[in-house]
Amino acid sequence: MGYSTLTSIVASNLTIDFPIYGSSHRSLRQTLFARTGGLIRHERAGRQQRVVVRALDDVSFTLRNGDRLGLIGHNGAGKSTLLKVIAGVYTPDAGSIRIEGRVSPLFNSAPGLDPDDNGYENIKTCGMFLGMSSEEIDRKLLDIVDFCELGEYLDLPVRTYSTGMVARLGFAIATAIEPDILLLDEGLGAGDARFAARAEARMQSLIQRTRILVLASHSDAMIKSMCNRAILLEKGRLIAIGPVDEIINRYHQRPAEVHVA
Amino acid sequence: MTPDYATARADIIDGIRAFRVWTRLGWQEVKRRYRRTFFGPFWATLSIGAFIGGMVFIWAPLFKTDVSSYLPFLATGLVSWTFATALISEGCGTYTAGVALITQLKFPYTVLNFMVVWRNVIVFFHNVVIVVIVVIALRIPVNWHTLLLFPGIIIVAVNGAWMTILFGMVSARFRDVPPLVGNVIQILMFVTPIFWFSSQLGPGAQPIVTYNFMYHLVEVMRAPMLGMAPSLLSYAFTIAGAIVGWLVTFDLYARFRRRIPYWL
Repeated sequence: MGYSTLTSIVASNLTIDFPIYGSSHRSLRQTLFARTGGLIRHERAGRQQRVVVRALDDVSFTLRNGDRLGLIGHNGAGKSTLLKVIAGVYTPDAGSIRIEGRVSPLFNSAPGLDPDDNGYENIKTCGMFLGMSSEEIDRKLLDIVDFCELGEYLDLPVRTYSTGMVARLGFAIATAIEPDILLLDEGLGAGDARFAARAEARMQSLIQRTRILVLASHSDAMIKSMCNRAILLEKGRLIAIGPVDEIINRYHQRPAEVHVA
Repeated sequence: MTPDYATARADIIDGIRAFRVWTRLGWQEVKRRYRRTFFGPFWATLSIGAFIGGMVFIWAPLFKTDVSSYLPFLATGLVSWTFATALISEGCGTYTAGVALITQLKFPYTVLNFMVVWRNVIVFFHNVVIVVIVVIALRIPVNWHTLLLFPGIIIVAVNGAWMTILFGMVSARFRDVPPLVGNVIQILMFVTPIFWFSSQLGPGAQPIVTYNFMYHLVEVMRAPMLGMAPSLLSYAFTIAGAIVGWLVTFDLYARFRRRIPYWL
């Protein structure tokens, strides 16, 4: 893996629109006949209207080495969308985002997990999707196996695992990565109490290895313990950026209505 | 939509480079079909075999040919047809099936396309068992022409790759497309000489065969399996199809690749 000397995220005037395709609008019939429909209704309403949700609106910020950024905001404020833009899932409609460094999104601790495959097979598949090479996975295999403590269960299909066991496996794989930039949505689930304590330590060590952390959470405690900066988002707009305590206070002073985008 | 050729090109190149990922995922999918079943993917083979075994005794007399020349033609044709059309019909679901990955991770989407192609190549080699049995039983000539099967598979797979990208994209946007494609393929099966010989069509109707792209895709695999060389026309059609198909798909991919996660 390449440690670039410079790890950074530069977002300028990011804007993301989600076109909402109703089940009928998405159909071929609608599009084929929209032309005709448009022509006929052309005097009345012009072009057919499409529902568009603006998930991010003109968001700009810069993050550098050592930044631990917390994303704060109500449901639908745009926290997850912003994480996904940093992850490269969504390409912005307007504005730009420049990223230096390897990004590891841990929204889902086990991407590509297949319940019919056994534990070992899933370690490989998920590891690949988390961006690890085959050699890297082989190197980390012992560590993952040790940490998840699933023993002989790893030879069995994952569908035979309990929910907590699946969470352990996912957590062990996800935290084996070597990210420059780590993206977390509400942290990662991690099984029972004894495991949770070990998970906490492993998580801390992962975050220490990470150069930039971006965390979306509704938990003030989590943001306070893990972050040194915060952004307040509201209806897709960046309202404030600054020190964690100040931003959390501002968040609580604002009217607490739930904005459904 | 302004095309982003650099991203599309990087996606395809990175996708090819990640061959370890998609060959593994393709195998994994086939292995899953084996789990808890005795025959696994051979169930599809058995069903094609049973179909051929049953129909040959009706269609051979119907098309006024003897079983020993009709059977190998039907077996090789149907196995080739199944491979070529599975690439299209399964290609439609490439991106909708990958929704969990596409909406969470940044990775070359073509990994998913190549996985579908690879999986179907493996399934094809399961189905080839039928052909091997027929070839041995009826002493079909095995000669140098037989080896042309391999370039034939490659030509079909290269065509299949652009088809899975194109049909995958269109199907992600327009959910009517997969069933529509399924219907069209079913009709094409009867229009394409799989069950009947093109020579039986008469000179006036030959264009139905000559300009049928699916016929040529089948032919570059079927002819070698029958110990014959495919016609140059079939090679011309399929290679031109691969080039034109890839160019058109590449342009559309450059325009709409970034919309794929929004459509899912």
